[in-house]
Amino acid sequence: MSFVTVSGLHKSYGRVRAVVDFSLTIDRGQIYALVGPDGAGKTTVIRALCHLTAADGGSITIAGRDAARQFNEIKPILGYMPQVFSLYPDLTVEENLWFYAGIYGVTGSHYHEKSEYLYRFSNLKPFAGRRAQNLSGGMKQKLALSCALMHDPELLVLDEPTTGVDPLSRRQFWEILLELKRQGVTILVSTPYMDEVARADRAGFVFNGAKLAEGTPEELPKLFEGHLYYLECEPTAALAAALNEIDHLTARRFGGGMHIYIDKGWHHEDLVEPLRRAGVRPGQLKAIKPDLEDCFIQLMEAPQ
Amino acid sequence: MHRAFLGLIRKEFIQVFRDRNMLRIVFAMPIIQLLLFGYVVNLEVKNIRLDVYDFDQSRLSREFVSSTKAGGYFSPTPAARPLFDLERNFQDASRDMAVVIPDDFSERIARKESVTIGLMADGSDANATSIGSGYLAQIVQKFSRRVHGFEMPVDIKHRILYNPEAQSVYFMVPGIVATLLTMVTVMLTSMAIVREREGGTLEQLLVTPMSGITLLAGKLVPFGLLGLFEMSMALTVGVLWFGIPFAGSPLLLLVLSALYLLTTLGMGLFFSTVTTTQQQAMFFAWFFSIFAILTSGFFTPIANMPEWMQYITYANPMRFFMSIVRGIMMKGSGPVELLGEIYTLAIFGLVVLGFSALRFSKRAA
Repeated sequence: MSFVTVSGLHKSYGRVRAVVDFSLTIDRGQIYALVGPDGAGKTTVIRALCHLTAADGGSITIAGRDAARQFNEIKPILGYMPQVFSLYPDLTVEENLWFYAGIYGVTGSHYHEKSEYLYRFSNLKPFAGRRAQNLSGGMKQKLALSCALMHDPELLVLDEPTTGVDPLSRRQFWEILLELKRQGVTILVSTPYMDEVARADRAGFVFNGAKLAEGTPEELPKLFEGHLYYLECEPTAALAAALNEIDHLTARRFGGGMHIYIDKGWHHEDLVEPLRRAGVRPGQLKAIKPDLEDCFIQLMEAPQ
Repeated sequence: MHRAFLGLIRKEFIQVFRDRNMLRIVFAMPIIQLLLFGYVVNLEVKNIRLDVYDFDQSRLSREFVSSTKAGGYFSPTPAARPLFDLERNFQDASRDMAVVIPDDFSERIARKESVTIGLMADGSDANATSIGSGYLAQIVQKFSRRVHGFEMPVDIKHRILYNPEAQSVYFMVPGIVATLLTMVTVMLTSMAIVREREGGTLEQLLVTPMSGITLLAGKLVPFGLLGLFEMSMALTVGVLWFGIPFAGSPLLLLVLSALYLLTTLGMGLFFSTVTTTQQQAMFFAWFFSIFAILTSGFFTPIANMPEWMQYITYANPMRFFMSIVRGIMMKGSGPVELLGEIYTLAIFGLVVLGFSALRFSKRAA
């Protein structure tokens, strides 16, 4: 029995279809990552899950309760951290914590214990008296997470918590998430960063409001079909255009070179002649293992 | 839930005291309004500059001119310009009125014939004009009674109850009290709720187990308290500084103000549901306040308004609160005398707050 089940979720804003027949399941104690570019529909899924957006269709079950009808029973076990910083900027770190503790009925010595614990892992203790508006991006996110954790939620829902946060803070943030997972918290997190998927238990690729693929960080790259090569070259637009003229081949600029995708059932040996015409010697191509990003890009570009 | 409610109230007060805009509304607005209305707005008409064209130049005409000085309503001066040029006195605003005494003034009075004197007034200030001509008519009547030496068959002895000296400030301060309570609560409430929406904190709160009632009460009660504080401050200054009498029960005023707050807090809540930024909310609150003040009888007696406008004033809750404040402060009215207003405000409060709360919870969910 999964802890979170979303099935057949639909949501349109006017004529824009934000989420189309979206389903996912999360087992208790797992970290599930929703990965996709901006505007893919991740936030809509999360907002529907937190009862902030009414879906047009589909159902959501959390801890065995129907989110549409029994959301009040879900609230006490849910911790939510929205995409934009949504604490009180004119209150201090301590005042924000105190305020959220009050809402969840965490009072007295229980509050003292809890806030000390949250300060320890967020390292925000020295900034307790600082107003939230004067915190750095990473510290803000840690404060928001602390507030969302005040009541020991069983399910933590985080909407792009690491977007716009420096790499070090991102790593620290994920350390905290992994620690929470060890304590048995179920986590749904959305992110535009592929590298974060590796730390999740399962991930779903979201694009144009639909889930393109789903699996563990190990399974997902295996969904890549065909062959991938790295071409060390000057990645000019002209070269990319010339290569993309070739059937069964897609070229994409990648860092200081190019990633060459060759369709399933074809090898670069079959394409020697056209490659040469584009100015590439077959020896320049190095076969590499596709990673998540290659997989995602291929899925995104597949005709749907 | 108790602790969540107290937490909301504490948070709200912290925010008000850290927000410069809100502090201005809370502290600067009442002080400025009190000073403005207490000292600047003066509905009494005194020292009307009266241009005197005395073509008679007799003892009697001079006696008449000096009788206009009584009471300090007029300060007569001999005409500075020829009669045909009289209008320029008004155009350059050096005179407010002019009186023309014909050259046969004393002669006709001596023959016990009726005499006509001319009065010209600058009507661009309608209020001063009508009050001034009224004064002059009284003076003329008194004067003719004296020179003819008989009593009028019907005479009026009038006695004004409550504020017999017709001091503007006595009348103004209760009006300011009602105005302040209205503006402060409507404005602060709508802005504070919209700020939560702007900052995304409202959504964050909706995901928590806090009930909608607690959330609403926690957002409205602090501003109700602030409003009552403002009102008490204005009253204290009114009584101690301007020396206005307080005839009735302050406790009754406080209780009925709390009743009135249901409506103003409800209005604030309503504006927060139709706006998305604090500026918009402030604009709505401002517009409502202007409407409420103008149709409350603060400056213009409602009876002076055209009939259709008088009906519109019934849609203004502040109109009823204004009667309550003036009734309690100036006349010492009790709950029995104010029963009609109390019922009306109770209905206003339930309808406005109920409707807004419904709208709010629908938009929030």
